[in-house]
Amino acid sequence: MAKLCMGLFSGSLDKLTAAGVILSGAAADDMDVEVFVLLQGARAFIKGNENKIDNLAEASHLKEEFVNSLKSLNVSTWYEFFEMAKEMTNVKVYICSLAGKIWGAEKLEDFNDLTDEICGIGEYLTSAEEADIHMFI
Amino acid sequence: MTQVELIDLTVNKSVDARGTACPGPLLEAKKAIGTIGSGDIMEILSADEGTKRDIPKWANKKGHEYLGTVEESGFFKIYLKKG
Repeated sequence: MAKLCMGLFSGSLDKLTAAGVILSGAAADDMDVEVFVLLQGARAFIKGNENKIDNLAEASHLKEEFVNSLKSLNVSTWYEFFEMAKEMTNVKVYICSLAGKIWGAEKLEDFNDLTDEICGIGEYLTSAEEADIHMFI
Repeated sequence: MTQVELIDLTVNKSVDARGTACPGPLLEAKKAIGTIGSGDIMEILSADEGTKRDIPKWANKKGHEYLGTVEESGFFKIYLKKG
């Protein structure tokens, strides 16, 4: 079974949505997935923040169009995509410990239900080394 | 298979995923194929252009047989046989 390793640096709505769509594709393909949530990404994974993410990494002046289009196309939220992927295949979500600390969250219970572990950077690089596909978002 | 043969198929499972954009139809197909038996025929209704290419590739990779696609007005019917 192919293994996908994703470095998720971004905590913006557009890139989180992209990550969610990619995870869904990986889930349809029964891939093993490891997501490493890095600096900005960790803020989105703090408990209670999932619906507060509303900034775009690109074309922020078109945010209204982007958000309205997602709604009218019936696209799931980034959080729903992650939940679906976790239900369908083996997806593990790791939060970089430094990233968590930057946003005031140090313990596993500070993060949402998608989160499996808090980890160090070595584990991310080892995962990337062993994966068939590695992407950084 | 020809268009006529596809239309005449008796399907064991029909999935209407016309309300969703990519990756919705692929996820619907993935979920539904787990509910049917080997050799069963499934049709997926999709209005998403990307899906028309995505589902046949996915099916072949997962060991299912892609039988063909029928274009209707504004959507596609994609036929698979579970491997």
